[in-house]
Amino acid sequence: MSLSKSSLSLLLFILNMSTIALSDGLNLTALHSADKLKQIPSLNRAAAAVVVNSPMFKPAVEPIFSLNLLSSFPEDLEISDYCKELLNIFGQRYVAYVSCLVPAARPVTVCQKCFSSFGSLREAYANISSESGPGNVSCSESLLRGDRLMVVNQLNTSLEELWTSSACDNCVTKGLQRLTNDTLYFMNTLNQTDDCFDKYRQGNHTELCKNCKSTYQELNELYGRMEKNQTMCIDIEDSMNMTRRLWSKYYNCSVPREETVPVIAVSSFMLFLPIIFYLSSFLHSEQKKRKLIHPKRAKSYTSLMNIQDKLG
Amino acid sequence: MANITKKVSWSSRADESGATGEGTPLLNGSEQPRHSRQLSEGRSIFQIGRLSTVDLEEEITSEEDSLRGRPKEIPHNEKLLSLKFESLDYDNIENQLFLEEERRMSYMGFRCLEISRWVVCGLIGFLTGLIACFIDIAVEELAGFKYQVVKENIEKFTEVGGLSISLILWAVLNSAIVMIGAIIVAFFEPIAAGSGIPQIKCYLNGVKIPRVVRLKTLVVKVCGVICSVVGGLAVGKEGPMIHSGAVVAAGVSQGRSTSLKRDFKIFEYFRRDTEKRDFVSAGAAAGVSAAFGAPVGGVLFSLEEGASFWNQMLTWRIFFASMISTFTLNFFLSIYHNKTGDLSSPGLINFGRFESDSVAYNLYEIPLFIAMGAIGKSYFILFFTRYVHRPCLQVMEAMLVAAVTATVSFTMIYFSNDCQPLGPEHTEEYPLQLFCADGEYNSMATAFFNTPERSVRSLFHNQPDTYNPLTLGLFTLTYFFLACWTYGLAVSAGVFIPSLLIGAAWGRLFGRLLAAITSSGSIWADPGKYALIGAAAQLGGIVRMTLSLTVIMVEATGNVTYGLPIMLVLMTAKIVGDYFVEGLYDIHIKLQSVPFLHWEAPATSHWLTAREVMSSPVTCLNRIEKVGTIVDTLSNTSTNHNGFPVVVQVTGSDEPAKLCGLILRSQLIVLLKHKVFVELARSRLTQRKLQLKDFRDAYPRFPPIQSIHVSQDERECMMDLTEFMNATPYTVPQETSLPRVFKLFRALGLRHLVVVDDENRVVGLVTRKDLARYHLGKHGLEELQLAQT
Repeated sequence: MSLSKSSLSLLLFILNMSTIALSDGLNLTALHSADKLKQIPSLNRAAAAVVVNSPMFKPAVEPIFSLNLLSSFPEDLEISDYCKELLNIFGQRYVAYVSCLVPAARPVTVCQKCFSSFGSLREAYANISSESGPGNVSCSESLLRGDRLMVVNQLNTSLEELWTSSACDNCVTKGLQRLTNDTLYFMNTLNQTDDCFDKYRQGNHTELCKNCKSTYQELNELYGRMEKNQTMCIDIEDSMNMTRRLWSKYYNCSVPREETVPVIAVSSFMLFLPIIFYLSSFLHSEQKKRKLIHPKRAKSYTSLMNIQDKLG
Repeated sequence: MANITKKVSWSSRADESGATGEGTPLLNGSEQPRHSRQLSEGRSIFQIGRLSTVDLEEEITSEEDSLRGRPKEIPHNEKLLSLKFESLDYDNIENQLFLEEERRMSYMGFRCLEISRWVVCGLIGFLTGLIACFIDIAVEELAGFKYQVVKENIEKFTEVGGLSISLILWAVLNSAIVMIGAIIVAFFEPIAAGSGIPQIKCYLNGVKIPRVVRLKTLVVKVCGVICSVVGGLAVGKEGPMIHSGAVVAAGVSQGRSTSLKRDFKIFEYFRRDTEKRDFVSAGAAAGVSAAFGAPVGGVLFSLEEGASFWNQMLTWRIFFASMISTFTLNFFLSIYHNKTGDLSSPGLINFGRFESDSVAYNLYEIPLFIAMGAIGKSYFILFFTRYVHRPCLQVMEAMLVAAVTATVSFTMIYFSNDCQPLGPEHTEEYPLQLFCADGEYNSMATAFFNTPERSVRSLFHNQPDTYNPLTLGLFTLTYFFLACWTYGLAVSAGVFIPSLLIGAAWGRLFGRLLAAITSSGSIWADPGKYALIGAAAQLGGIVRMTLSLTVIMVEATGNVTYGLPIMLVLMTAKIVGDYFVEGLYDIHIKLQSVPFLHWEAPATSHWLTAREVMSSPVTCLNRIEKVGTIVDTLSNTSTNHNGFPVVVQVTGSDEPAKLCGLILRSQLIVLLKHKVFVELARSRLTQRKLQLKDFRDAYPRFPPIQSIHVSQDERECMMDLTEFMNATPYTVPQETSLPRVFKLFRALGLRHLVVVDDENRVVGLVTRKDLARYHLGKHGLEELQLAQT
């Protein structure tokens, strides 16, 4: 995460430089929104200011070719305004997603809470990377692969990785519209279990174990099915883990080891069988005898006294 | 003691089972009394009861003085040489027929031969890879099914009670599966028991182990291995791959199957022992390569353990076969895993990749590794002296072992308190929860409730704190005893995996303890690394291979940087181990009483000369011999020579005649069968001349002499052996020292060495058994005794 954070500031700094001309006088709103972002420690305020400024750029704004750049590069080497807008939007959505992610880190709810902001981030990135823009301008070349650092690309990659490893795709419908029915159903069952836990939390835990067993088991089975179908995301896994830990460790409802005696009895019977077997076959068989053969050797040289004579 | 080659009855399973062999076979059917000296050896044994399969006996050795009508009987021990083993003819028979054929062959003919050698090697690799693939998939599917059933059952009963029923279910399933495997081995092909590596070693050394390279053996072996691994015995499927590869090689190179009575009329040139031996070493290499994904290791294995004869072209061809085999396995497994073209599972056992962090080792760790090597000497001294000879008892024994294995595993799992959280990728194939908290699994169960290969992998790669020391210690101990016990069973199974598993377990334990006693230890004492070193040490201590095992381990882990520690560990393991006891395979070979020739003659044997070593007198044949004499000589049970010096009589002299050639029993039989008599040749002008092809067609199962009918008239005919005998047999003077004779035998792959006096008269004959009986014991040079088994 630290990588993406620092690169984020860097990006915002760049943005700041290039958009100063446009964003004059908007600092007020910027400060206001920046308050929201205080949780992100490494975000610097000035940068945040720029980001928050950006709402004035809508994706559909027509390109303004006449407005020219501050830099001294020839036009075709510098990025167009259209691309700048896209960049801005990307930055803005990026911040929105990250600021959603951080509070959702523990307990993990990153999929449930942040899928929509991820969706819009993805959209912004798709706009940047699409090959054709208005007037056949492509921003992907200049924004994504313009330099060795490839800031935008890297930022996006890190979040995409986060998304992939959280497996949120399994919990959200295609197009990131809403949570899937499975997930909602699971959450529902989970809530029932939690309610049950809450109800019996006071007093004897054996009571809880007995009364909540059915809902817990239902939840467990549901989870097992989802595990098999690969329809799980990190949210579900995490909440299930917590519930299981509560159930097994905190409330101590695991199955006790009760059948020691029959198990020992059966195993000692089994272990006894080979002893009988070997004993009986030992008694009923004798070692095979081997007949020795005495090979014919040259007899005339016995004076040499070879070993076989000694042995034989 | 004439025993004969009668068809009938020798019990179809001969000995072989582990330690002693069961011995009955010999003498039944001895109705035809044979004369003169000779004790037959050969025949006995292994021949199953079919006439056609009877092998010839050979070797001279043991002539027995007819005066000893009743030989001494002693209990079986490892200081015996069995008469039943014969040599292979690795020396080319250069008779006139051979020279003629060579003359007829064009330049193109030789090129085609060379090409077909490559084709055969490619086929060997391909088929071996396929077999490995088949075994792997079958084991995976069946074991998966079994564990699934048991797992569901255990889960069901964990809650409602009745886990003892799961225990019984597991034990019964195990025994049932093992029973199938044991039945086919014990009743159909006893030679398929065990890993087969000692047998292949003997074969390549030049000893003919009956039925070891038959198609039936292969089938039984493959099915047997699947059953024993699925049945949960403490065994692996890698060792048998080597045997399977060898059988494939022996079969493919002959272009026909005698068992199936199919002759494809190809590769006829390769139908002799010399050519076959080369292919068998390629097959063994292909087997290793498929088992461990180690093509170079396979070649070196053939070189180190097997082949007594070697040259550069052969090495290159063998390497080709190995590569093809590992590639084939890889390719088909990738299809099976739905990742066609992803060649990432080169061997049956996959050690997995050691990630960069755990790979690193430091110079200061090397002494530790060496110390581990010292621990890993062979513990497998424990042979269960087998009193179990009858096949039905062997089956019962195997079933019992299977049931006990299940019971012990279950008990260990049941009483284990070692719970570990489930990993994110579910590296545990069949996690058992039992009494662990939800979301955790019993870590003893990953070690026991799994196929051994998977357990090895999880010992190598699981998180450092996956197993607690108590679990590891208990696991090592129980598995060790189970493996020792299992080793002697009459099931086909290998010892590689159990040793790796035991070694990995104590290696991991070592690593964990090391991390515990050094405060900062957790940084470098990665248990997985020590598990690998422990596994190498244990395996090296048991099989005592050096170069090839190092390369195999390095190739299997895919990590060259481990080469040095593995080598050091194997060296120490071998040195320490050799101090106590021989390697497992050598012990096995000794217990089988095989006349095995080691690399060198025993030291301090220079004072022995050929005169003391040889057998004498020798039955000789005249160059033009009466058919009756030949038939009598061959059917004489006491002439167990397989080769007869051919002599020219010096007229009017009592002295032994001068040596002019050597002819083999198998050749004589073919001659008799085709009735190549001088008189007939004269009368029937049209008679086709006998060619080398006729000898090849009879190979390798030459009919016994009893099946050849020679009428009274024919007995009076004469046979001219000039054309067929090897006119230039190797000879040595009587004063040659034993080590010199030994070197000739070992380097040239001889079967017979004629001892002559200064006038080229035959005084004796040296064979393998005459040489193999000397060995260096605790009290200097000892001589092994010959015995019928």
